[in-house]
Amino acid sequence: MKNEVKEHVISMLVNNRPGVLARVAGVFGRLGYNIESLCVAETISPKVSRITSVSKADPAFTEKVKKQLNRLVDVISVAELEDGTSAKREMMLIGITIDEKNRPELSRAIAMFGCTVISMQESYCILQVAGNKGDVETVLNFLKPLGVKDIARTGAVALESES
Amino acid sequence: MEKTGAEILLNTLSKEGVSEIFGYPGASTLAIHDCMNETGIKHLLVRHEQAAAHAADGYARATGKVGVCIATSGPGATNLVTGIATAYMDSTPMIALTGQVTTGLLGSDAFQETDIIGITMPITKHSFLVQDVRDMASTVREAMNIATSGRPGPVLIDLPRDVLAARSNDDEEVAGGFPEQQEAHFGEEERRRLKQIVRLLNESERPVLLVGGGVKLSRAFTELADVIQKGNIPFVTTMMGIGSVYTPNGFNLGLIGTHGTDLANRIVHQSDFILAVGARFSDRTTSVIEEFAPLATIAQIDVDPTSIGKNIKTDISVVSDIRVALQELLGLVNEKKREDWIARIDRERERIAKEGSDDGCGPAGECIRMVQECMPEKTIAVTDVGLNQIWAIRSWKVKIPRGLITPGGLGTMGFSVPASMGARIGAIDHEVVVFTGDGGFFMNIQELATIGFYNIPVKIVVFNNGNLGMIRQIQHHFYSSRYRDSRLSDLVNITEIAKGFGIPSEKVSADDPRKGIEKLCSSEGPFLLEVVVDEDNYVYPIIPPGKSNVEMIYGRSE
Repeated sequence: MKNEVKEHVISMLVNNRPGVLARVAGVFGRLGYNIESLCVAETISPKVSRITSVSKADPAFTEKVKKQLNRLVDVISVAELEDGTSAKREMMLIGITIDEKNRPELSRAIAMFGCTVISMQESYCILQVAGNKGDVETVLNFLKPLGVKDIARTGAVALESES
Repeated sequence: MEKTGAEILLNTLSKEGVSEIFGYPGASTLAIHDCMNETGIKHLLVRHEQAAAHAADGYARATGKVGVCIATSGPGATNLVTGIATAYMDSTPMIALTGQVTTGLLGSDAFQETDIIGITMPITKHSFLVQDVRDMASTVREAMNIATSGRPGPVLIDLPRDVLAARSNDDEEVAGGFPEQQEAHFGEEERRRLKQIVRLLNESERPVLLVGGGVKLSRAFTELADVIQKGNIPFVTTMMGIGSVYTPNGFNLGLIGTHGTDLANRIVHQSDFILAVGARFSDRTTSVIEEFAPLATIAQIDVDPTSIGKNIKTDISVVSDIRVALQELLGLVNEKKREDWIARIDRERERIAKEGSDDGCGPAGECIRMVQECMPEKTIAVTDVGLNQIWAIRSWKVKIPRGLITPGGLGTMGFSVPASMGARIGAIDHEVVVFTGDGGFFMNIQELATIGFYNIPVKIVVFNNGNLGMIRQIQHHFYSSRYRDSRLSDLVNITEIAKGFGIPSEKVSADDPRKGIEKLCSSEGPFLLEVVVDEDNYVYPIIPPGKSNVEMIYGRSE
């Protein structure tokens, strides 16, 4: 089973109420699954939130988690999103120290990867990168040697390609 | 007309059919107790909140109605926890009402504040914090709906003090309540799957029905009996399934699993088709999963999708209300004699009887059979946990639906006495007998005061062996008879204690209990019978940890 571990994206619609996230997270924890990333926000209806979670887990994961989540009164729907049939994106903010040495390389990277500059001070800037997981990692790996001080990333948000 | 939150709470409960609440008051819940009489709901004052939860549980199990308990904020609420967990494990429909500090103080570590919703999240089906008095009525209705629908379970409503005191128009409806809980729908897909199951059942040579607690919960007593009779299908039960069906003609092979009968475990092992009805294949039922029923195709019917294939891989399943599925199944199942299978079971039964491998639970078992003989047929038995539980479930022949109440899933010592109070109050036409051990009896002994105060006519049998008997048995078999910390004491005078609580009492030996049993059965009000049992009386056969259902340890209780 161990070698069949893969990434699972679970997308659920839940009632937008206090305590709902705790119940949802409790299901993962009780079954012994770690949540690698988690994204929660209101949907087009303010009464409903979408939770997108990513877990690395064995094949039994989907069925177990789906069944238990469906038992929660506040969970409206649960689906696993597969790569081919869904759009999946994440966003990262990268804080970098700027000095004389890395300035040219940094400018090149910003242009090359199409990073958005969120804030720019004399010796520190914050860049925004969005894309699929691979894109975001590529940018991060490129920038790391230039002096990345801190990052914040959203984890995946995902939506089924066909409604 | 404007009413307080407390009045709306009680009025709504009353409209939903609640007539009794078991509880214990505190500062946060006084508004509720203050108007209880006016709403026509009767409150039973217990002596410890845990007992309120067990009593509500016993009430629900005996009647099929929702049991309701109430406790104040903080320690009152936390004392309910064991009772709520017990109800959750055995899928009892229950409402737990807890007081809470005023909304402005929430999260401030105020006096008698606990996050009871957080504490009970894994042991409730759902919970609500009512923050606005206008939500009170809809919340209560929704809680009742959740507690009773699908696979039932406990629902907790946390009630801040200011919300209980706030006023609102009784019939005011706040828009956008909760969607109705969907009952499992029996449609084309379910019908197709059920037909496949029936085909396998009809074709099978050696079928066995595995009856779980779900049958009781969906009130499928007659449907199940009809299926068994029509198809000539022998059945075994899980601990929670006991009391789901009574057949006089030997189709009941008894309890399966760790504490099951030799016959039930061996026949399941030989069967070629098992249909599980409202059973979840717990570890107590299957023992070693890989060796469970190795020859059988396994089919499962359950209302809860999470119970299907959770512990054992089933070959085919239907998610459905048990009663609906059995009604469908009854029309499709073939009338079949199954002479070879029945004859084979009879041979096994004779062999077991000859070898005496099923020891009938020794003198305690005999005592239980004597109690049953002298009580009316409609009597409900309530067990505690330990040897007394296994003796009782194997010796008491359940002849009525809901005729046996036992905390099977959680195994809660101290359950029986408070649960019996709820059962007796709910099932007013039924006598109630408790079988407990000295260990479990002491865990909620304070409820003798409640029984005495309300004169609740329950008959309590305490098997006193001065030990934690089942623990002692495990130590005997698997810890080289080192009886560490399992010795209680025989210094306590149980009959004098009972008398101190105003309950008549007798003490007898398990070898000669007749006189005491006659007094127990003929008493008008409550009665306590202490039965002294030898500390080396155990239950046999049992299955050691890590062994399959047919690798039993045999022995005798002399």
